[in-house]
Amino acid sequence: MFELSNAVLVSLLIILISTALFLIVHKNAANVIPGHRVLNRDPTFIIAGPSGSGKTSLFNMLTTDSFKPTVMSQVPNVAEDYMLPSNVKSFKFKLMEFPGHVKLRYRLFDTLKESTYLKGLIFVVDSTIDPQKLTETAEFFYEILMLTERFPEGVDVMIACNKSESFSSRPPLKIRDALEKEIGKIIERKAKSLSAVKKPDKNLSGHDEDESNPNSLEFQGGHDFKFDALDGNIDALDGSVLKSQIDKWECWIDERSVN
Amino acid sequence: MIDQFVVFTSHGQVLYSFSPQGKRLAELQVNKVVSHLITTPARKDELGHKYIILKLDHFVAACHLEKQPPIIFLTTYVAQDLELNREAEQVLDLGTKLWASLGLNETIELNLGKKAPKNEHNYTWVLENCDEQITKFDEYFKAKFNTIKPGKLKGKEPSQVNRAGLQATKPGKKVVSNAKSRKWGRDGVMEDSHHGDTSALDFSAEGSSESTPSAVTEVNKDSFGIRTNKGEFLIKEIDALLSKNKSDVAKNASSSAGAFGFLQKHLLGNKKITEDDLTKVLDKLKHKLITKNVAPEAADHLTSRISQNLVGTTTANWTSVEITARESLQQSLTEILTPGVSVDLLREIQQKTGSTAKKAPYVFSVVGVNGVGKSTNLSKLAFWLLQNNFRVLIVACDTFRSGAVEQLRVHVENLAQLTDEAHTRGSKNKRGKTGNDFVELFEAGYGGSDLVTKIAKQAIKYANDQSFDVVLMDTAGRRHNDPTLMSPLKPFADQAKPDKIIMVGEALVGTDSVQQAKNFNAAFGKERNLDFFIISKCDTVGEMLGTMVNMVYATGIPILFVGVGQTYTDLRTLSVEWAVDTLMS
Repeated sequence: MFELSNAVLVSLLIILISTALFLIVHKNAANVIPGHRVLNRDPTFIIAGPSGSGKTSLFNMLTTDSFKPTVMSQVPNVAEDYMLPSNVKSFKFKLMEFPGHVKLRYRLFDTLKESTYLKGLIFVVDSTIDPQKLTETAEFFYEILMLTERFPEGVDVMIACNKSESFSSRPPLKIRDALEKEIGKIIERKAKSLSAVKKPDKNLSGHDEDESNPNSLEFQGGHDFKFDALDGNIDALDGSVLKSQIDKWECWIDERSVN
Repeated sequence: MIDQFVVFTSHGQVLYSFSPQGKRLAELQVNKVVSHLITTPARKDELGHKYIILKLDHFVAACHLEKQPPIIFLTTYVAQDLELNREAEQVLDLGTKLWASLGLNETIELNLGKKAPKNEHNYTWVLENCDEQITKFDEYFKAKFNTIKPGKLKGKEPSQVNRAGLQATKPGKKVVSNAKSRKWGRDGVMEDSHHGDTSALDFSAEGSSESTPSAVTEVNKDSFGIRTNKGEFLIKEIDALLSKNKSDVAKNASSSAGAFGFLQKHLLGNKKITEDDLTKVLDKLKHKLITKNVAPEAADHLTSRISQNLVGTTTANWTSVEITARESLQQSLTEILTPGVSVDLLREIQQKTGSTAKKAPYVFSVVGVNGVGKSTNLSKLAFWLLQNNFRVLIVACDTFRSGAVEQLRVHVENLAQLTDEAHTRGSKNKRGKTGNDFVELFEAGYGGSDLVTKIAKQAIKYANDQSFDVVLMDTAGRRHNDPTLMSPLKPFADQAKPDKIIMVGEALVGTDSVQQAKNFNAAFGKERNLDFFIISKCDTVGEMLGTMVNMVYATGIPILFVGVGQTYTDLRTLSVEWAVDTLMS
């Protein structure tokens, strides 16, 4: 009996120590390595958009209420447990802002794939850009939509038309229409383009590859692509980070975070 | 004089900016530099330079990348000459040292961590509680910056002296400009390497270096006279700061050893990664990359990138160092292989051929080493374009190898048959050429290299007249390290002005691919580069896709298509995910 209780004691001790260790380690650990692959389960808002549209400035505006000079980002900006002061329920969410450089977009796409609870996506656009030259922006937007539409109810997207203080800025609805039209053209072109390489063994083993390569936007309209046909709402709102006129955008975030 | 000095984080937050001319922060310049840092994977460390020096279109940038916390120090200046390089180096030296000695790094790291005080948004701004340090930094930096300038003014003198034909430099100058072991040739080019550069700003060792302008011209004396006592006092304080910093760099090495450290490393995670932890893992990864046909040079670059990214960071929970390193490698590979610009060929062709005002054909030319599959991939490309209802003219610019034209003729016959079932082989179209109305061969026999450019120009004119949409030019295969074969490429590109120059590289080639890509890229002169690669024969190498990494690593030019088989439909766009997965498996 004595030996048994001793063994029990020892094992209990070991369990205690290991739990303590685990807790300590768990507490101290943060996602220290940027871009490290952890499934993101927190409610999340994402800021994305092409380079030079003012994403980091918007992020700064939201987090510090002041305008700060920024340059091209190389890594995402993240605010864990972000709070909007206007929010009654003091709802906390994760606010992530991703670099817009073409080579770094994979980080955004990875995060979109790995997140389970996306509250909304803010797609920042420079509203002074000529609608004729929106093609690359539209391409980026198209790739984002391909990923957000995987969610059963889609993800709400706000096209934040920044720099509205400039006299050459265009109204948000016009930008939305231009993007819609461009995406339609892109879908058309994508259908004509060469397909991407796949692993040969995957094709033999079955159709498990189909999900990761969704054509969710293609089957929608058939003829013309419309944002209304998507599961998520696409809103276009104007604002200006420079003049700190971002009330509309904050409202939009507020609405999404409440429900 | 430098244009500006900027300190910013890799998050894109500007921490400090200074311009001697009092100008606003030129974000455009900084963005160009950052973009360059992102897109160019291979950074050559130029001889003797302590900092990364980048030559961009209208200015030169020197930068220093701090890893922990991720901060970039950058100076930009107009032209690259020795004086300015030196001055930039001194400014960077001063900036980094001052920054570190004021403890800004620690505060920033704290702010980026989890334990920092939060504002009402539950967020910590990078420079929270740094106001005092930043103002100090600003004050000190400006004061010290003014002492660099005189050094620079006199630094100019030796070159003037040189022009007069004198080799010797005056004493006294040496101290301030630190031009200890430098000699200038008659053309103003420095002769010996400046190995003493690292101690360029070691003011502490030389006592009060700012008080040495004994042999300085009157102008400089005046500029010193203007400075108040406070200025002098300040500089002493700064020097004290700078020298203090040097002494406490040394003690910073403590590592947790023993069983717990082992557990952390392999199982528990949450371990601070050191150089030692990584060496074994990196060797393993490098070996693996090399077995996948990645050139040692590129593998070295990738692994050094990993250690750059990881040393000093902490592994996540329940993650071993090895897994962390693998993930970092995966990221680096993705970053390398992802194109820096989005290329949509169909759109570009439509844009060029679609404009009604000035209709011109879209011209591709294909280059590469012998036998890599230039003609085959050109035909595959033609097939895809034909399917998109473009009218394609194939031009036989290989006037060298026997049978090259005949080979293309066979391809054109095949393509004609594929687009139009009624086409009979060997028949001529209504213009008397091989092919049909959609695809046609432009040929002019065999001959020397001057014939090539002639054919190219004629072909483009012909395509223009007959309103073809796309011109595809096949060129002769050439050995990349033979200058006599490579030199005709430049006049060819200058004359034909192709919209896209495609290099075909085969996946089989291995280590030599680095040099192939470099040489072909350089062959078109300074203004013109290759536009993209087609990697052929990918079906023959299985998982050994290293060539892709090599070629992109060497040039920073994206891969657009990969050839995966023998038939016309076996051309695919590159999927970066697929390539990275294959390389990592």
